Amino acid sequence: MPIEIKHLTHTYMPGSPFEARALNDICLTINDGEFIGIIGHTGSGKSTLISYFNGLERGASGAVLVNGVDLSDKNADLIAVRRTVGLVFQYPEYQLFEETVEKDIAFGPTNLGLTPEEVERRVVHAMHLVGLDPSRAKKSPFDLSGGQKRRVAIAGVLAMEPSILVLDEPAAGLDPAGRHEMLELISDIHESGVTIVMVSHSMDDVGRYCDRLFVLSHGEIAYQGTPAEVFVHGEELNKIGLDVPECAKLAARLRKAGFDIPQDAYRMEDVAGYIVKNIGKGRSDR
Amino acid sequence: MIKNVTLGQYFPGDSFVHKLDPRTKLLATIALIAVVFVSNGFAGFVMIAAFVLLTALSTGVHLKFLFKGLKPIMFIIIFTFILNVFFQQTGEVLVQFWVIKITTGGLRMATFMAARLILLVVASQLLTLTTSPISLTDGLESLMRPASKLGFPAHEIAMMMSIALRFIPTLMDEADKIMKAQKARGANFETGNLIQRAKAMIPLLVPLFVGAFRRADELALAMDARCYRGGAGRTRMNQLKYGTRDLIAAVAIVALFVLVILANRFCPF
Repeated sequence: MPIEIKHLTHTYMPGSPFEARALNDICLTINDGEFIGIIGHTGSGKSTLISYFNGLERGASGAVLVNGVDLSDKNADLIAVRRTVGLVFQYPEYQLFEETVEKDIAFGPTNLGLTPEEVERRVVHAMHLVGLDPSRAKKSPFDLSGGQKRRVAIAGVLAMEPSILVLDEPAAGLDPAGRHEMLELISDIHESGVTIVMVSHSMDDVGRYCDRLFVLSHGEIAYQGTPAEVFVHGEELNKIGLDVPECAKLAARLRKAGFDIPQDAYRMEDVAGYIVKNIGKGRSDR
Repeated sequence: MIKNVTLGQYFPGDSFVHKLDPRTKLLATIALIAVVFVSNGFAGFVMIAAFVLLTALSTGVHLKFLFKGLKPIMFIIIFTFILNVFFQQTGEVLVQFWVIKITTGGLRMATFMAARLILLVVASQLLTLTTSPISLTDGLESLMRPASKLGFPAHEIAMMMSIALRFIPTLMDEADKIMKAQKARGANFETGNLIQRAKAMIPLLVPLFVGAFRRADELALAMDARCYRGGAGRTRMNQLKYGTRDLIAAVAIVALFVLVILANRFCPF
């Protein structure tokens, strides 16, 4: 069990007039090889939650176990944990600082104390993984386009070769094509054997790629399960400011109108298939 | 850890002091500072302290925040106190051993100086706790306006101050985010010698500066797009106006001044 969270509660600025509870009694488990989606409205506690995944936030009540190591333990080896859990924050391109792409990607592995040869190998490999052309290695990261910068930043985390990769809104601010490319890239990384946790507010994105979802609302897990299980709660999700994928909405409306479309249909291909089956059959209640 | 720094520590409220014109509050604070220096005895200090405390209580601001401002200068207060105890050698001798001699005069002077420092900080704390940064700069601009006739850039300074105040929390947030991101990449900001630590700041400072310049560019463009052209001929949405409240506050401050001067003359304690 790579990540296990038990009864985690986080209070923001305790003891001040601005005190607020960001996380309240969160319990969740993430298994090896899964593609997990964490969804929630702005301020639902998503970003705070993932800061606990590699010990950036500690000391709240509750326990966070990564591969069995309790991160709230003062003696926990945080460097080892950060090696296991790679965290890519929102707009990661704003963390770039080195003169060249190569050096920036090498920052993480160098901090791990690896040999220069190993760092070099990892940089080349990471650039390959995120689809960066090797000719860009010596360029300044500040001269690249937004999407390319983000790839460099993700490569910087991948070069630490984590077994779990956590991404906070990896597709935010990208155009539709860039968005699609980014998500496909993450899917490829998942296929190479890395456990993925993706934070998003796009139901379409998480519905397409994730095995399991956690829906956060006001610092609590409101719903969890496979996308099909979560999307059944369309109206409740609406109430907490979230939406279900367009196809799930269409399926729900058709179902209400009396057409025979199963509850777990939310992917475009599936819904289209069921619509085709319904053509000519008429409504089932007639 | 960065989040614990409170800059622009405005404490929202709806009290008499909160509703005062920021210019009144600025001038009153200057007057309070002056009166602290005018007072030459403890009787005056007791009056000023009572005035400040009563005002603070009326604002509904938690007293804890009033004294929080003392923390950073605690060292200076203690240092001043010790220095005065040892080097002011007047009055009766209380304790004497080796070269150290503590006298009543020394103790009196030490307490006096410490009390003066504490009063100064607490009084000015009252201003920043009850005035939002924006109305504070508005008040400053208005007070500095006469000087702009002499070529003093009052509006520009006030604008720069509001922009700086507006962006401090944003930059703090950004610094916090970048720090977390670099820590996630194995960066170490906490240990190592001075040179190692300074070097460790590069991954934090470079993105922070890049971000600050980007923001400045965007802000300049946004101001341009809304036809900003400096202070000349610019009207305000919230006009500052003195009211009855401000008159009451002025009378109270003047009364305090008179009382302290009387105390200086007739109650030299």
